[in-house]
Amino acid sequence: MAGLWQNIDYAAFVALFCIGLYMIMAKQNLIKKLLGLNIMETAVFAFIVTSGMVDGGNAPIVAPGATGPFASPLPHALILTGIVVAVSITALALSLIIEIYRQCGTIEADELKGAE
Amino acid sequence: MSQLFDLVMLALLISMALAVARSKDLVAAAIIFSGYSLVMCLLWQHRGAPDVAMTEAAIGAGVTTILVLVAIGRTCRREK
Amino acid sequence: MRKSLVALTLAAAAVPMLIGVAGLPRPGDGSAPAHTHVVARYIAEGAQETGAGNLVTGVLLNYRAFDTFGEVMVIFAALAAVMAVLMPAAPSRPAGTPGNGTGGLQVSPVVAFIVRLTAPFIAIFGAFVIFKGHVSPGGGFQGGVILGALLMLLSVVMGRGMQAPLVPVRLARWLQASAPLAFAGVACLGLALTGTLLGYPAAPEMALVRELMMIVLELGIGIGGAAIILGLFLAMRGD
Repeated sequence: MAGLWQNIDYAAFVALFCIGLYMIMAKQNLIKKLLGLNIMETAVFAFIVTSGMVDGGNAPIVAPGATGPFASPLPHALILTGIVVAVSITALALSLIIEIYRQCGTIEADELKGAE
Repeated sequence: MSQLFDLVMLALLISMALAVARSKDLVAAAIIFSGYSLVMCLLWQHRGAPDVAMTEAAIGAGVTTILVLVAIGRTCRREK
Repeated sequence: MRKSLVALTLAAAAVPMLIGVAGLPRPGDGSAPAHTHVVARYIAEGAQETGAGNLVTGVLLNYRAFDTFGEVMVIFAALAAVMAVLMPAAPSRPAGTPGNGTGGLQVSPVVAFIVRLTAPFIAIFGAFVIFKGHVSPGGGFQGGVILGALLMLLSVVMGRGMQAPLVPVRLARWLQASAPLAFAGVACLGLALTGTLLGYPAAPEMALVRELMMIVLELGIGIGGAAIILGLFLAMRGD
């Protein structure tokens, strides 16, 4: 348990991931499911960015006068790509939800299952 | 002090995520999600990642929230 | 799903993750494996080799440029898919009625005045973030999203939806494709200069060429990002 208290940041991101997973599994509204997916995605991004931080580290900008240990720039670059992919997924999912509502009149998953 | 800031931010994130899960009004859920995104941006700025924080603030609190509100406007507002 | 099944799945997901997380090195530890392999070289020589003071931009546009190529293709494909899903649908109003773009929303004159007043400053800030992205926090996509959000605001406040868009449709389609096109152009230039696709010339006297290639890429990503976000918004609004 000492290891878990030391890595309390990581444990909090695991908790956020599970909240997002709960929203995807247990909620019936499609937009709620999509918000749960976004929460899962941001939890993973936060995990990776936190793994790249250094104690007392500065932002990874090498300017004249920038000193000290730098935070690692590689996770930041990966997460920038990840955020763009997340917004693409969200936009496409929302457009599909709009089309489902136009065709079926409802966006609740259990009603959609029964309507087939 | 910095540790206390981190703990408060993490507690705020978890409580906002729970509020998004439990809210029945979808517009309220979208706005709380926008606030969650902003707190995440502050957390990353505190961890020495200003580029990621700027991107998350612009996209999470900006574009994603606007697109979700447009979608809610064209479908239902309340969760059944 | 039944509540017991949901609880079981959550427990099965959370417990191994917590056990794994407890065994990781402490966040902030400078000697963790995340910091010692490739990243040490990026930090030590990145500013000189890439010509970018902002190491994240250097990694994104020089060391890992193929990942960024994939990223712009993903968001372009998302725009194409959104248009394929939503645009052939029958319009909610018969076509030919002059739309007022706001969908019936009455924009208050105070809001309209404030948006019109601050729009040039927001545009300058967006351009600043794009152009200074290689020496200060920022970059192509951040500035592009700021400009895209400004265009979304203007298109609501000025009442221009799909019927009379802010940017004419033919120009908008080319602007939306500008990020993949910029990447393809710079990739061919790299092929001509070094013999490998998207290869940056490594000689120290070609530092200006490297910096120019990076600025062209950032400009392409910025303008493409802004146009794609405006395109997503207009396609989803539908009128």
